[in-house]
Amino acid sequence: MNFFALLKDFLLQFLGLFKNLETLPVECMRLLREFLTKLGELCGITMPQWALDTVSALVLIVAILVTFLVLFALMSVFERKLLARAQNRYGPNRVGPFGLFQPVADGIKMLTKEDLVPRAADKVVHYLAPIVMVAPALMLPVFLPFGRGMVAVDLSVGILAFFALGAGTELAVFMAGWASNNKYSILGAMRAIAQMISYELPLVTSALVVALVAGTLSPTGIAEAQSGYFCGFLPKWFVCTPWGFAACVLFYIGALSESNRCPFDLPEGESEIIAGHLTEYSGFKYAIFFMAEYVGMFAVNGLLVTLFLGGYNAPFPFLEWVPTWCWFFIKLWAVALSMVWVRTTLPRFRIDQMMQFAWKFLLPMSFVTLLAAAAWYYAGQGPKAWMSPAAWSASALIVLLSYLLLGTFCFTRRHSATNRRYLFSE
Amino acid sequence: MHALFQKIAALPWDQLPQWLFLIPGLLMLLAAFAAVCLRNLIHSALCVVLSFICLGVLFMALGAEFVGFVQLLVYVGAVAMLILFAILLTPASEVQASNNPLSNFRLSSALHAAAGAAVSFLVLAGLLAAIAFSPRAANAELPAQPAAAPVALIGENLLTYTLLPLLGIAVLLTAALVGAALIAKEDSKS
Repeated sequence: MNFFALLKDFLLQFLGLFKNLETLPVECMRLLREFLTKLGELCGITMPQWALDTVSALVLIVAILVTFLVLFALMSVFERKLLARAQNRYGPNRVGPFGLFQPVADGIKMLTKEDLVPRAADKVVHYLAPIVMVAPALMLPVFLPFGRGMVAVDLSVGILAFFALGAGTELAVFMAGWASNNKYSILGAMRAIAQMISYELPLVTSALVVALVAGTLSPTGIAEAQSGYFCGFLPKWFVCTPWGFAACVLFYIGALSESNRCPFDLPEGESEIIAGHLTEYSGFKYAIFFMAEYVGMFAVNGLLVTLFLGGYNAPFPFLEWVPTWCWFFIKLWAVALSMVWVRTTLPRFRIDQMMQFAWKFLLPMSFVTLLAAAAWYYAGQGPKAWMSPAAWSASALIVLLSYLLLGTFCFTRRHSATNRRYLFSE
Repeated sequence: MHALFQKIAALPWDQLPQWLFLIPGLLMLLAAFAAVCLRNLIHSALCVVLSFICLGVLFMALGAEFVGFVQLLVYVGAVAMLILFAILLTPASEVQASNNPLSNFRLSSALHAAAGAAVSFLVLAGLLAAIAFSPRAANAELPAQPAAAPVALIGENLLTYTLLPLLGIAVLLTAALVGAALIAKEDSKS
């Protein structure tokens, strides 16, 4: 048996895999390992385990990176298109069909631009900041289950790992702001860090609620806990429960803020602090910051899909013929495009409004969802809660009452107006 | 060509993971050393962060993923930011210029070194004693494969055996938070 016969054999097997789209990605990895083993036999050596593991890990890394970078490229053009449509313009339509090759043009432009480093900047830290920013962002997607049995790193503490790596962004923003040696940069970095720390609390707390009810910190386990239907056809997604809906909205707001999206794009508020920590960055370093932001946004949206929107599960029983990984990416795009919608609709927050919103409304509300989830769990005797009227009414009552109370008494226009002080304007 | 392949494949690759810990370990020591030696305080702080990260990686390499990620989350996400902000908010010139009673109390560099050595020796002795007198040291053989799902175990222990220390830490942290708010409030009045 020569090399070409082997190649032909495996290519035919590969084409045969397309009969079952559901298992296609997993089977591809299996086929690759098999191919490598056979290739080793052909060369007269037994392929050792570590070599197989290394090669399949590398292939997996490349596949995930390419997927998320393509998502980033598509998002950058779709976002501009949608924004343009909302503002009654055409948007990019010159490069390629419907302007679809715009990201390529942008990439070439960014690569060929001059890379400026201010003379007063701290050269090393200024250089390292984009790397520190992009490395954790690119690592985030590996913890997400893209389909049934399709998770790159199946950790029992996956959600914790996700947030732990997400903490690297704050460090990178600080490094960028401080190393630029520019007061707009450092002010922007301070703002960005204050915002990230404030919104991380409701974000993590609302993820914690799901972990408590599902009884696991592993994203796969949480996605699996949402499979199945109640009342025959309604999806058992956590967003369908009262506490889950509240937590999902909180998580969505937190995700908007963590990825610096409008209305939380204060760190880059052009009219106030030029571009914040990005002021002194140009060329490809600037592009890397943007890439990290968008990949991070997709990763956080993927976590939102996994935690609340049923992960890779189909919404209705009659739609189960669609592969699970298709469902994951459909939901991912739905959430990402809804963020563009929010961006076109809402104006930017003022900084004191933003901080008050986080500490006076989102944080107490996320603690309340914890309570509501506990009520759901214990009133409904654990997993049976889906069919228990007591669980539904108890948790709905807690969420609704506290929402109304918080909205009426704790977070009002009067409160935020009287306490406002302009410390730096005098 | 075949001989080369076979030679590479025959190397003791199984032992590789045991030696890979040298990379984060040495990097951690280097970063810690640099943190002491560097002149720029922010650079030192960033080196401390690097050594925190390497410590987290070491924990993960030892199979303690939970501890490793908590190390990253708490130390890189929170403590590092605290250190950096503290450095930024206390300009070096201000500290030296203030008539702080401590600034008159100048130790010679030899005394500084002696004090540092004494503190690090005490910490090392404490750690060694803790290891020597731990129940694990008595029965030396450790399980070859750590038990699966240690997160649930950690949670259970945290809320049963170590509940009192946990509450004590919670009270301490709350007190620190209240104190910090008080100091900040007085500062803004003046």
